[in-house]
Amino acid sequence: MTLIGVWVVELGLFVLVVAALLAERPIALGATVAAIGIVAVVARSSARVWRWVTTSFLTHRTGALAGAAVLALVLPFFLRASPYWTFIATMALMYVTIGQGLNFQMGTAGVINLAGAAFAGLGGYTVGLLTVRLGFPPWLGLLIGPLIAVAVGALLFIPILKVRGHYLALVTIAFGFIFNILMNNLEFTGGPQGIKNIPTLRLFGYAFTTPPQLLGMTLPSHANFYYAALVMAALVTWLAWRLYNSWVGLTLNTLRDDEIAAKCSGVSVARYKLLAFSIGNFFIGLGGAFYAVMVGFVSPPDFDFGYSLVMVSVIILGGLDSIPGIILGACLLIPLPERFRFLHEYRLLLYGAAIVLMLLFRPRGLWPATVRRYGLREPAASFGAAGGLR
Amino acid sequence: MLEVRGVSTRYGQISMLRNVSVTLREGEIACLLGPNGAGKTTLIRTILGIVHPVEGSVVFRGERIDSLKTNQIVKRGIGVVPEGRRIFPKMTAEENLRMGAFAEWGTSEVAGRLEQIFDRFPRLRERRRQIAATMSGGEQAMLAIGRALMGRPKLLLLDEPSLGLSPLLVEQIFEMIQAINRQGTTVFLVEQNARKTLALAHHGYLLQKGEIVGAGTAAELGESDIVRHAYLRA
Repeated sequence: MTLIGVWVVELGLFVLVVAALLAERPIALGATVAAIGIVAVVARSSARVWRWVTTSFLTHRTGALAGAAVLALVLPFFLRASPYWTFIATMALMYVTIGQGLNFQMGTAGVINLAGAAFAGLGGYTVGLLTVRLGFPPWLGLLIGPLIAVAVGALLFIPILKVRGHYLALVTIAFGFIFNILMNNLEFTGGPQGIKNIPTLRLFGYAFTTPPQLLGMTLPSHANFYYAALVMAALVTWLAWRLYNSWVGLTLNTLRDDEIAAKCSGVSVARYKLLAFSIGNFFIGLGGAFYAVMVGFVSPPDFDFGYSLVMVSVIILGGLDSIPGIILGACLLIPLPERFRFLHEYRLLLYGAAIVLMLLFRPRGLWPATVRRYGLREPAASFGAAGGLR
Repeated sequence: MLEVRGVSTRYGQISMLRNVSVTLREGEIACLLGPNGAGKTTLIRTILGIVHPVEGSVVFRGERIDSLKTNQIVKRGIGVVPEGRRIFPKMTAEENLRMGAFAEWGTSEVAGRLEQIFDRFPRLRERRRQIAATMSGGEQAMLAIGRALMGRPKLLLLDEPSLGLSPLLVEQIFEMIQAINRQGTTVFLVEQNARKTLALAHHGYLLQKGEIVGAGTAAELGESDIVRHAYLRA
């Protein structure tokens, strides 16, 4: 397949996604869902078709990425009739940011963190307190918020270092609840009312609440945040990708695989766990701070335990330790429940069914982690050529 | 080169080692024999600082190391093939090897050493991009030894490297250990296979229930009643 072919495939997928998002009437929605199903079945029907598609994308990787970037940039134009879907798309990008952070902790370094919402909350509340109570500009809050999440995470790290597995999960869950109870009961965080009227982001005097005029079209004001979130998610993903493919990522993988063997190789377990935890909390805190600036309001229920689970679901659905998988996970898991909102409580059934199907057919996630490439394009060593040692 | 002096360790209330002393001389192969549960692995862990002794000291090349952290100890020139090999299962063979030279990461040294390991174990070169968990037991054993050698250790600790391998592979592993030693690495070999180990080693220690019950040259140990009865069945 040529580069043009790759772009045609991308465009086709884009059209299907937009159609699925905007289809209102049951027939239109049904037809789109059916079309997506058919495409999926055809693509996966034979290994040859699937390999043909994936190798084309790999050989034209830069072109494919550029195509995807262009489509991501024009998405708000297609969603301009619906501020709601523009907002959901922005949320998905925010979850990409958070997911990359959480994946760095859980997927790459094996440090379980079930308090993602609390760390996002630390970022969000920092923005709220700094802007509303102290009059800081929001962009400064966006910078300081993640740092507070990192700092509090470093304090929590002292008990975390000593525990592993299930116990670590319990420690982080407890932290999530402590955070929520504190936010609910402290005076200066506004208690259950939270912090209202967080000023919106301004860039060179341009307020993010004004509907932007682009190419002669008026987009909903949420499109501003969409583009900001796109930049944020792209930057964070790029950073995560660089770290993952460096010796840092490899060292963190040894912690996940075998701590004792890592120690015996000369890795300081405490130092690298702290590094992974802090990098992750920075990204999660950044997502939370962005949320506060976008919505203009933070309160305890915005950061309760359920959202921690959504974050974990994003990385498990996408594929632990897989950076492209996280993007896919967030872009599916955030819009899908919104799309099926008309099913009311039955959505949860769908959720359960999706998880069971995942466990059965894609236990390592929709886009599992692959072997690092080291800039080489060697074919993977064949498994068939085994047969004992001379 | 390494001196363990009167070391006692305990896991909580349970005493694992009592007043254990071991001396490893530069350039030698020393072995540690003993039944399951005698404390062989605990002694290795004590040397590595994974367990800290409650009494006694560990001195490596004139420096006390018993209160250092594991990663600091291995950087002083101790390589290890841990019990059960403990390769990194989800990482490739090459990544496993590269982790062995963690202290010198990014230096030009590493690529050269990697080639040397691949020359020594051609099998690993073929498998360099394969996920370690999918490799055979013999390949995993070689990977663990190769990883330990990547750090150019002055002292190599091997905790039952032959465990679970076929007799032919055990033979190969023992030959490799001898070759590694001839190139100047001091070796401390923990084994259950007394006959083979004593044939290879210069010195040996016998550990039972946390105490050293026999020590001497390999020949002396092979002659002693306790070893003959317990291990050689002669």
